[in-house]
Amino acid sequence: MQTSFVEVRDSRLLKEPLRVSGEYRRPDAATLVREVRSPYTETTTIRDGQASIERSGKTRTFALSRVPELAGLQASFGALLAGDRAALEKMYDMRVEGTRAHWTLTMLPRDRQLASRIRQVALFGRGAELRCVETTPGKGSEIQRTLMASAARDAASAKDGPALAALCKGG
Amino acid sequence: MRVSGLLSTRSRTLLALAWIAVLALLAWVIARQLQPSGDLREFMPRGQTPMQKLVLDELGEGPGSRLLLLALSGQPPDQLADLSKGLAAALRKDGRYTQVVNGDFDAGSLDPKLLPYRYLLSPTLDEQRLDTDYLADQLQQRVQDLGSPAGAMLEDLLPRDPTLELLTIAERWQPANMPPLHDGVWVSPDDGALLLVQTRAPGFDPTAQQQAIDGIQTALHALPGGDKATLTFSGPGYFSVVLGQQTQGEADQIGKVSSIGFILLVLLAYRSVGSLLLGALPVVSGALAGIGMLLLWFPSVHGITLAFGFTLLGVAQEYPLRVLSHRRAGEDALVSVRSLWPVLLTAIASACIAYLAFYASGVGGLQQLAVFTITGLLVAGLTTRYLLPRLLPPRVRDVADMSWLQRARAMFDRLPRPRWLPWLVAVTTVVMLVLAPGPFWQNDLAALTPLPKDLMQRDMRMRAALGAPDVRYLLVLQAADAQGVLRLSEQLEPEIVRLQQAKALDSAELPSRYLPSEQTQRARQQRLPDRATLEETLQQVQRDLPFKADTFTAFLDDVQTAREGPLLDVATFAGNPLGERLGTMLRQRDGKALGLVTLSGVHDPAAVEALARRHGASVQLLDLKASAESLVVGYRVRILQALVAATVLLVLTIVFALRSVRRAWHVLAPMTLATFLVLAVERMAGIEISLFHLVALILAAGLGLHYALFFEHDSGDPAEQRRILHATLVCVISALLVFGMFALSTIPVLRAIGLTVSLGVLFHFCLSTLMAPHVPAPEEST
Repeated sequence: MQTSFVEVRDSRLLKEPLRVSGEYRRPDAATLVREVRSPYTETTTIRDGQASIERSGKTRTFALSRVPELAGLQASFGALLAGDRAALEKMYDMRVEGTRAHWTLTMLPRDRQLASRIRQVALFGRGAELRCVETTPGKGSEIQRTLMASAARDAASAKDGPALAALCKGG
Repeated sequence: MRVSGLLSTRSRTLLALAWIAVLALLAWVIARQLQPSGDLREFMPRGQTPMQKLVLDELGEGPGSRLLLLALSGQPPDQLADLSKGLAAALRKDGRYTQVVNGDFDAGSLDPKLLPYRYLLSPTLDEQRLDTDYLADQLQQRVQDLGSPAGAMLEDLLPRDPTLELLTIAERWQPANMPPLHDGVWVSPDDGALLLVQTRAPGFDPTAQQQAIDGIQTALHALPGGDKATLTFSGPGYFSVVLGQQTQGEADQIGKVSSIGFILLVLLAYRSVGSLLLGALPVVSGALAGIGMLLLWFPSVHGITLAFGFTLLGVAQEYPLRVLSHRRAGEDALVSVRSLWPVLLTAIASACIAYLAFYASGVGGLQQLAVFTITGLLVAGLTTRYLLPRLLPPRVRDVADMSWLQRARAMFDRLPRPRWLPWLVAVTTVVMLVLAPGPFWQNDLAALTPLPKDLMQRDMRMRAALGAPDVRYLLVLQAADAQGVLRLSEQLEPEIVRLQQAKALDSAELPSRYLPSEQTQRARQQRLPDRATLEETLQQVQRDLPFKADTFTAFLDDVQTAREGPLLDVATFAGNPLGERLGTMLRQRDGKALGLVTLSGVHDPAAVEALARRHGASVQLLDLKASAESLVVGYRVRILQALVAATVLLVLTIVFALRSVRRAWHVLAPMTLATFLVLAVERMAGIEISLFHLVALILAAGLGLHYALFFEHDSGDPAEQRRILHATLVCVISALLVFGMFALSTIPVLRAIGLTVSLGVLFHFCLSTLMAPHVPAPEEST
């Protein structure tokens, strides 16, 4: 399966939030590929407890245990998309709100290591479509947003932070 | 009945009490002074060549010997990670531990004051300059890093270190093989949380190592939840503690059983408690005199000397036993002793000559043993001659009257004594020695350790998981000074990398990895741009990038500090873990500088040897196992030489004492045959002869000499003959009591000594019996 995404990452070092867009792919159940197409090209492949980042021909590989955020990403995407509720329940404390047409799923990590980096992950969706993933980091206040599918397409028109936030939550 | 010389009961009691009082005083003085040392290196020969001296130092003091491997298990990974962090924090504050590594990159190992100098430590500047192209590429990558899900990690570091030199250094300093990280520390799925602790105490000091281990356990229990986790140790220091406890436990047990057995034996043999108590006095006097002499002569007394010494003094218990057995009813003990004395004196003198061989060996521990034993024997002998007889009561049970003894002696007399027996024994011995399986000499020190196999395997597994250094191989770099060593180390770096890629070696701890030579540091310093240039470059690069304008001020400051600051040397790192690490790697010896490179996972020693040979004498691969074995061989040669000299002296002494070569032959022949027979029997059983077997052979020969001398002394008087038999039997059984127990021990060293002496005593007794000149008892007149 594949889905295009738009991510907005803010940092106190940057003049304005970084807007990254690309595609998430799952070639098989155990692999997740995050391909960034703009404003730079980079492909991250997560499988077998390892993450490989490829940029302009150079690849760096390291263990997921060193970067818990990526491990969480792999698990949550995998479980979400495979619909594996049990696996998700093991890793996250889950709360669902809203209706089937317009739902919000909030996940709080159980694993202490992950929780220190990611306070909560909120998913917003319409029907069968996952539109947006909001990650609240452990420290710092900048919420990272990943907009996907139809939200990603709409994101082209939204120009600034608040507009994107509104789009994410379900405009 | 002669009255002169015979003391009244009151005088005897006073004399006995006075003697005991002197002994008690001596014991008290000694107990205050005595502090047995545990350093096993006193029992190793002094190195002759510089390499041998280095091996001995390394065995005890080297980085490998001080490393303790710890594993925490029995709890879920989160708890284990917490315990690991808590334990590491507690141990780092404790002065007994110079280094604690558990996986968290201790950025504290790089002092915050030294952070700017990362540009001198990191190899980046060797290839790159901080120019426009490089900085543009790096900053672009940082933008991309911020865009990735893991970007938050870098936010704090970026303004100061946009080229991520700190991470480069961290990677260089981590061991090649690392267990997986959990919550920032090493937690392996099989073994639990893993830690490496380096102790200040050298590996060869079991007492100090025990304290270090106890300290770790206390620290763990002080942590919340610390009692619930299981703590496992491994490493040379831990093994020496285990060995010490095992040996102690067995020695205590053996001591108890033998003491009880000995007391029962003496009571049975002499049917008198008084004999037992009085007979003990000369031996105790000998022991205390021996220890006293040690305290006067040597700066410190070794625990093993004391333990061994008491067994060697087992020879001394013969003297009072002989006197006790020789007493006749109605005869003044002094008179019996006087007639016995010439033989006794010869026996004492010969034993002392044999133990002089130990003194000549030149090994500290063995010299102590020689002094202890010789003093002990002389004092025991002299007190037996002059003091003991005055204490013995005149009314005594003459052992010659015991009925079982009469039967025994009759049986003894009837034994066939073919003249061809010695020749048969000699030929059989030679045949056995020639046909014996396996190598003759035991060179491998590892065979002498009684450590169970699973402990050794666990050690190998933990060592491999932690990437901890091999204890066996060491690469030694030599140069005129420390900078020379560092330059040499830098030369070796690419070659080591090649070996790693070829899987010949897992990793090598080169000192230049932590501290580059001044030459390299200066070169890097000169490649750093000055502040103005760097500011301009940054402005240019940042035009197209989304970073805020003043983000990299800290970076500019750091580069300037590195550019103008002093170069780093060992002293800069003093007082922090990195300094300790460097301290163990860089040494001074004989005016030259040495670099000790520990190796991990040596799969192909020949390839590493080839690397060393390419650099001539300045790089050498030290195989600690092979060097230790060559030390053992050299040691053995020296002892054998000393033994030959002692044998010659012994022969001369006996000939002189007995005033007849023929009589000397009757004494020496059975002794020699019995010694070689013991050797042959052990070889046939597949036992390889080690140094401890040699020591035990000397002890057995000492005992056998006594038997032979007394049997040779046969005067033809049947009562006297019975007394000699009685004394000899009691001595043989008491020796077998102690050494038979040793032979059953699980500790190879004790087993070697016990088996050899037990066999020796039996063979000496039998051969002396069968080969002594026999004067048949005349028909007793009724």
